Amino acid sequence: MDETKFTQWINKILTTEEDEISCSDCFDRVSEYVETEAAGAEMDDALQQVKQHIHQCQVCFDEYELLRDLIQVEDGHDLLFDK
Amino acid sequence: MSKPRTNEAWIEELKSPGDLQDAAIEDLRAILVRAAAYTFGRNLGDLETFSPEHVQQLAEDCAQEALLAILNNLAKFRGESKFTTWAYKFAINISLTTARRERWKGVSLDLLEEQSTQDGWLSEYLPMADPEGAAIRKEVRQIITETIQNELTDKQRLVLKLMVFDETPMDVVVEYLNTNRNAVYKLLHDARTKLKLSLQSHGIGAAETIDLFGAQG
Repeated sequence: MDETKFTQWINKILTTEEDEISCSDCFDRVSEYVETEAAGAEMDDALQQVKQHIHQCQVCFDEYELLRDLIQVEDGHDLLFDK
Repeated sequence: MSKPRTNEAWIEELKSPGDLQDAAIEDLRAILVRAAAYTFGRNLGDLETFSPEHVQQLAEDCAQEALLAILNNLAKFRGESKFTTWAYKFAINISLTTARRERWKGVSLDLLEEQSTQDGWLSEYLPMADPEGAAIRKEVRQIITETIQNELTDKQRLVLKLMVFDETPMDVVVEYLNTNRNAVYKLLHDARTKLKLSLQSHGIGAAETIDLFGAQG
């Protein structure tokens, strides 16, 4: 582990919350989260908890990032399936 | 090209036996294949031994698995996002898990676990202490080391070593421990909580650490 990663990890430790949602709860809400974020809309407490979780959980962050980018790609290519 | 549908139309057609359902399932399968292929395209390093045809076949397999998961979970869709955004996450979740497990297939986690029982393993992972560095950096290393060695449970220490220090993906650890993401996340959360309390008991909070590590990191 290099110094940069160590620093990032220490910051994750220090930003640990007493109550953090589970990966399952994050999965349940991540689609709403990416659309709310893309719209620049206000996030309620439940979505703030998703934000906290993906800050701490690498795999959920990776899935969030893919979902966020995929909906942009799909929109950009005019492959909308929902109207 | 699939036809545009509202959220309500997706649900209604997926639930209605007959031609409408068949068409909706085919359209959904097509977008799930694209989501799986997109996931693999962004993580090709996980599948570097695979031919393009093999990657495409894997994308179709993952899409099929995602399709079944979606059909089994339709009742949970509450319309809080577009249906397709909700559906994509199943394909991404299954594809990413598959890709990560492929990459780590040949790695022995038994060996990594065995290391965690040996004295002094942690010192090999932490960055070298800079003799000229700030005293607080050395102190943080010391607190982290002592807490991991003395306060974490064996399970917490193992999961922390595998995921934080060996950078083993969560889903590989989940498979190795025959458990689930929630259980592994809880172990990590509990470990972080103990480490945070240890640091705070020595007067080290976020602001101090960002100043003293971030400035020089």
